[in-house]
Amino acid sequence: MRKYLKTTGAVGVALALASLASFVVAGPASAKLTGEFTKFEFCPYKTVGVRRCINSLTSGGEVVLGSKKVPIEKPVTLQGGYEEAPEEGPEEGFAKFVEATNGVTLSKAPQNVPGGLAGIVPEASSPPLVKALIKFFFENSLTGVTSTLELAKPASEIRINETHLAEGLGVTLKLPVKVHLENPFLGKSCYVGSSSSPIKLELRPDTTSPPKPNEPISGNPGEVTFLESARILKLSGVELVDNAWSAPGPSGCGGILSFLVNPIISAQLGSTTAGHNSARLKNTIWEATAAAVKKNFETEK
Amino acid sequence: MNRKQKSIFLRGLLAALAISAVFAGPVSASPAWNFEGKSLEGSEVILGAAFESALTIPGLTTKCENFLYKLTIKNEAGSGKGELTEMPLFNCTTDSPACAVKSIGAETLPWPAHLTKVEPSNYIVIEKAKVGIVYSGEECSLDGLLVRITGTAGGLIDNTAETASFNPASFSATKTELKALSSKAEWGGVFPTEAFQWHRNQALTAS
Repeated sequence: MRKYLKTTGAVGVALALASLASFVVAGPASAKLTGEFTKFEFCPYKTVGVRRCINSLTSGGEVVLGSKKVPIEKPVTLQGGYEEAPEEGPEEGFAKFVEATNGVTLSKAPQNVPGGLAGIVPEASSPPLVKALIKFFFENSLTGVTSTLELAKPASEIRINETHLAEGLGVTLKLPVKVHLENPFLGKSCYVGSSSSPIKLELRPDTTSPPKPNEPISGNPGEVTFLESARILKLSGVELVDNAWSAPGPSGCGGILSFLVNPIISAQLGSTTAGHNSARLKNTIWEATAAAVKKNFETEK
Repeated sequence: MNRKQKSIFLRGLLAALAISAVFAGPVSASPAWNFEGKSLEGSEVILGAAFESALTIPGLTTKCENFLYKLTIKNEAGSGKGELTEMPLFNCTTDSPACAVKSIGAETLPWPAHLTKVEPSNYIVIEKAKVGIVYSGEECSLDGLLVRITGTAGGLIDNTAETASFNPASFSATKTELKALSSKAEWGGVFPTEAFQWHRNQALTAS
């Protein structure tokens, strides 16, 4: 009898372990979105208050900061969810963004700055110490400089106006950002804009009204198509523009030499006050309701 | 003016007329509204319901079972004009299981209309059209969004069938376009053109 119980117990434990193992193995395999819904993999659709999911892929365009023009050659993704927009008040129509579940709401894609270090820090006009360091870095072929658009505030500070996006009129996306300039010489903390003084992009698909000397520029509302039986709205060829924003001076450039390097970079950028900068982001945007994403997830389970 | 000058003048005039005829293209003088072959005097009201009607934004088609309209027509300086004054829409659905039509309605009525001829056919052109649609459905990507369809619509007038047909071909012929969500929208519909006031049961033609 004892032997029988022992055997039964062992079988029971083995069965329990086997079912647990199968559960563990089955778990991640079933937790997947399918079809076009995979675009919303990191949408916080389970978070209370999240009404919609969005994935916006910027695959072209440019950012002009003062006298420096940086083309967007590497794709940047803005993803996450957003809440119901208030129907009145100062933020009427602008929904609050909710961070992507993987923490990467705005992907970091370093874009090459044309001209590299030479275009950012002119060797000829630099103080001797800076000149020597530039020479050192030039000789080591480390002259490439990259510029990365990063969020300057939490994702919850991003605002989106879906009505403006749908109609192709008005400010559609409010994005608080900073520009990270990177190069061994510039150090790891060279930024234009910060969390306390962000660059406030107010991107729109129609025509801007910038301060002089900038002239109005026009975006493009793009073309709409519906996917997954109209559960997903896809906007292709959307160009969001803003050339009315201002940017603070650079900070933290050159590490311990920042007191020398910051003014040099500032001089090279020229004026970055409103009317001297512009941004054009060429996007493809996918949108779905949080309920549709959740349903797709549950259906596939 | 002597004979030689007259001759040159006449030749020039003929050449100018020939050139203007060539450049006028296929669009001819505007047709007028006629009842039983006689030009309409004063105004008349046309009431009707679409035999069929559908609006398509790529990937989503919206149909209305009851698409009614009221059009007041008249002739002005020999050209057919009109005003669409009412356009109630009921029982509208979509081809998506996720999306329902919560509300739909014509905005900023009346919409002006006029007749035009694009050889060899006559068309009615509805201008400043504006329809608002609110879709619903928790899985519908347009849930809660107000979608506006705006633009100009050209429909082919069939004098024999007494209908106006709106379709991609009639839009193309009249160079008209409707837009929704900043994209081109296709609207198809066949509408009867029957008088309901002074000219009841009289054949309405555009010519």
